[in-house]
Amino acid sequence: MSPETAAATSARPPAARIEEELEVTAFKLSEWMASQGIFIFTAALVLFAVVFIDGFASLPNLTDVFNRAAPIGIVAAGMTFVVISGNYLDLSVVAQVATAAVVLIAVTNAVGLLPAIAFALLIALAYGIVNGIAVGVFKANAVIVTLSTTFIGLGLLRWLTGGSIYFGDSDGPIRTFGTTRIGPLPLSMILFVVVTIVLSLVLTRTNFGFMVRAYGSNREATRLAGVNTPLVVIGAFTMSALGAMLGGFVLAAFSNTAVSAMSDGYDFRALAAIIVGGTSVFGGRGSVMRTLLGVIFVSVLTNIMVLTGLGFGFQQMAIGLLIVLAVTVDALARKTRAS
Amino acid sequence: MSETAQPTASAEAGSTASVPVVEGRNIIKRFGGTQAVDDVSIAVARGEVHGLVGENGAGKSTLMRVLAGVLAPTEGEVLIEGRHLEPGDTRAALDAGVSLVHQELSLVPEMTVAENILLGSTPTRAGVIDGRTQRRIAGEALEEIGVSVDLDEPISRLSVAMRQFVEIARAIARRPRVLILDEPTATLTPAETDHLLATLKRLARTDLAILYISHRIPEIFTLCDRVTVLRDGKLVICDEIGNYTPDSMVQYMVGRELQLDMANRRIDPELGEVVLSARGLQAPSVNDVDLEVRAGEIVGLGGLVGAGRTEIVRAMIGADPRSDGETTVTLDGRRRRIGSYRAAVNAGIAYIPEERRSDGLALTMSVSDNIALPNRSKLSRTFILQRRRIAEFARSLAETVNLRPPEIKREAGQFSGGNQQKVVIAKWLGRRPDVIVLDEPTRGVDVGAKAEIHRLIRELANDGAAVLVVSSDLPELLELSDTIHVVRDGRIVGVLPGVGTEETEVMALAAGQREVDAA
Repeated sequence: MSPETAAATSARPPAARIEEELEVTAFKLSEWMASQGIFIFTAALVLFAVVFIDGFASLPNLTDVFNRAAPIGIVAAGMTFVVISGNYLDLSVVAQVATAAVVLIAVTNAVGLLPAIAFALLIALAYGIVNGIAVGVFKANAVIVTLSTTFIGLGLLRWLTGGSIYFGDSDGPIRTFGTTRIGPLPLSMILFVVVTIVLSLVLTRTNFGFMVRAYGSNREATRLAGVNTPLVVIGAFTMSALGAMLGGFVLAAFSNTAVSAMSDGYDFRALAAIIVGGTSVFGGRGSVMRTLLGVIFVSVLTNIMVLTGLGFGFQQMAIGLLIVLAVTVDALARKTRAS
Repeated sequence: MSETAQPTASAEAGSTASVPVVEGRNIIKRFGGTQAVDDVSIAVARGEVHGLVGENGAGKSTLMRVLAGVLAPTEGEVLIEGRHLEPGDTRAALDAGVSLVHQELSLVPEMTVAENILLGSTPTRAGVIDGRTQRRIAGEALEEIGVSVDLDEPISRLSVAMRQFVEIARAIARRPRVLILDEPTATLTPAETDHLLATLKRLARTDLAILYISHRIPEIFTLCDRVTVLRDGKLVICDEIGNYTPDSMVQYMVGRELQLDMANRRIDPELGEVVLSARGLQAPSVNDVDLEVRAGEIVGLGGLVGAGRTEIVRAMIGADPRSDGETTVTLDGRRRRIGSYRAAVNAGIAYIPEERRSDGLALTMSVSDNIALPNRSKLSRTFILQRRRIAEFARSLAETVNLRPPEIKREAGQFSGGNQQKVVIAKWLGRRPDVIVLDEPTRGVDVGAKAEIHRLIRELANDGAAVLVVSSDLPELLELSDTIHVVRDGRIVGVLPGVGTEETEVMALAAGQREVDAA
């Protein structure tokens, strides 16, 4: 070896080592952020809002935040099952939320509340089963499948309704649900909390939830344990569909109106809440309670932007940025754990 | 040579004639705690075909990957024509003229033969792919190895053997100085093998240095000029082929100082009726396999990596689809057909797969959850998880397999390899399996854990389970098995008793050095 090359090789390692150390630090940091970050960030954000943002800590504003957070939160809680099962996300919630809202109001107006709920439930089961069979049995890509079922569902809804707006009866049961409060708390918020607790228990305490987590953690090991894995996937998409249906109900009750375009962006907002909460898009890791925190974080952030006069465009950009940040942290954290 | 035009270069060229084309000096490669290659020096000269042989896990593939610049050695240096090769820099190795033909095929199935041969060095003209040059170079490379195939055929339509030839053409198209081949004949028929060996001999005469890795002894004798034998990562001997006999080579490969630990061997095990039985099994890499395991019996499946042992057991229990044949499990006089993997599990078969990290464990879940997974129906009659029962159940099983540390709430991914394997075994023990199939149960496991896993396997058999073990670890196979079936090319080529069989007998059958009529 010539002296020059010897010098070159010995000069390279220190720089490489620093680079390596920086990388290690970044990985460790992201591991921490993915596992613990959301608790601190949510607390910090709320604290920041209370102290620095005028009008944040008022009852009307907080009620408004929760009213807006409730439908997204319920949708996200259901979709968490799909994400934890390792199937990325359920884009079809956009169509499902709008369909459930329109069905609730239109069918209640025409026939009555109970048939409306039964009909919406049938539609939700259909979504869960169709998405679940395509993904779980035929191993089709979940993103493409649910993007397509969104198109099919929204297309059908717009075709049937002609894009018209449905108004609920001004003293009907939906209106009552949307306006009832228990103390200062709107009913929708209580429903949100109940759904979150129930779904959280389903995920952590039932056989089904256990298999969803196991499947998301390692499909092959779960199959080799003798689990009927297609059924697990169908179940996960059905949970997502039920969440979307309830989210649609709450959204319709909030304004006592329904229109096919009312759920635009619900897919990404729900996903943002799930990933920001720390549930891994690689599957197997996460919880419904994390999604709850994620929803609070995203909702408070959005509210801060509204209160400080940052427009819808800015909000949209911020959500996009947040998702990119969260999935990058997720990927780095996964790499750290693997090594 | 063009270098002779310049005086300085000619001096260099003169000296390189005596310098080996590729040389590894005191190569050491460690993976974690295991020493895969331990201080091995090797040199291959121009025009030489150098054979590299050894048992499974002897370090052949690791050494080869170090020489090809794919892996950085822990210590030592690789020289290409006397020049230092930057370790772990695949591009630099390619530029230096090292071409590696992988054991696992690395072709793009959707692309054509011509596109694949020039993958990574696609010729372009003004940024546009130059299809004509691409086809010409690809055509020349294929001609050189004497293979005719449509250049525009997508790889996915070719046979596995033809893909192997395309892979070699791809290495040749780079005009290498060193060609490294790792088990290139594993997927070839005898006629194709002969053709390949003849081609390689011819190529060597064109001043190429060839490093040929194989555990097939007849091939080594046909092809190689010199042979290096590795054992347990160490160099045993490097000599001219004329100084070996097939028997002496096998002896060098397996003759370890380590004595077999026969003290724990089961003596006169009590065998019951045939429980697990497969007839006429056909699947990819499985050729007409018949296999029987009795209650209380440990049957070992020996053979070399890639012989088809994993494929046989997976086809047998329905974990992979089979094209023909039948598996049955007979218990208490009741005979059940195993048509699917779930049927196998329901019939009482437990399967511990070869790849525990990818197939055996949910690494992000706790030990307790992993153990509960195949035991759900037993642990909770309703759909609610009975967490306390699961924890108790997991704790007792963790104790049975001696999990270290015995923390069942810890994520499975945080345990050592040996303890992860114990978890995989524990989760199936909970079902009290009547049939247990273990694929490489102690690979990558430390000595202590290995002894404990052996103890568990013996206990299972003593309790009357039918046990089928796949192992590449010859001593393990000899210590555990009551009967050994040796597999080669997806067939069972010999059945040997567990007692009194020598390592060399198994090895000779596995390597095809001794031809025995298949039973």
